[in-house]
Amino acid sequence: MASALRAAILGHVRVPVVVANGSKLLAPLWTHRTTAVRSMSSHDDHLEKNQVIDRILDIVKSFPKVDPSKVTPEVHFQKDLGLDSLDNVEIIMAIEEEFKLEIPDKEADKIDSCALAIEYVYNHPMAS
Amino acid sequence: MLLHAHTPSASYFQEGKMATAVPPPSRKEILSLFRSFLRSTRTFSDYNIREYTKRRAIDAFHHNKTLSNPSSVSAAFSDGKYQLHVAKRQALVYSIYSPTVKSIMDINY
Repeated sequence: MASALRAAILGHVRVPVVVANGSKLLAPLWTHRTTAVRSMSSHDDHLEKNQVIDRILDIVKSFPKVDPSKVTPEVHFQKDLGLDSLDNVEIIMAIEEEFKLEIPDKEADKIDSCALAIEYVYNHPMAS
Repeated sequence: MLLHAHTPSASYFQEGKMATAVPPPSRKEILSLFRSFLRSTRTFSDYNIREYTKRRAIDAFHHNKTLSNPSSVSAAFSDGKYQLHVAKRQALVYSIYSPTVKSIMDINY
């Protein structure tokens, strides 16, 4: 996301020639942009929230016992979709494989719904 | 298939005496066993065996889900632990003798 933003900025803003007292029009724009966006930061390969939501919903929808039309980002696995705890474990396994994570048992037992899964994956630093 | 080739009978694991009754496994232990099963299936190198083991584990756990008698629950749990041991051992053995050509289903394009 940062790289797309950076490319858009570079496409539309020309590099100002640095003058001793600076051009009042362009200099503030540049300093504001580069400090706000942190374009050189390597921490920006974090997943987007809507990417995470889409991928998790795809996983839940492709589960054979689930009716795809009922799946929303707030749906609860056992209460709304009628699954049981074994299916819950299976879905969490599928999420682990999709995002290349290792979810410990204690955390995995708490993930009961799509919303919790999305939050967990989004906040996990190693998700990819 | 190699699983269930040497399935021991339930009485082999049961204590038999009423005074030293082993408490049946809790829900968490069963779910943790199921999770260990699914994790161990990831290490199989062959697509077919991996998918079979996953399906078989899921079917077996669902089949025994409705048991209510504590001794049969304990027996099923011990059987499950034994099968997990078999699966882990077989994953190691298969990885030593794995075929060089991967199954077509494993290739993601």
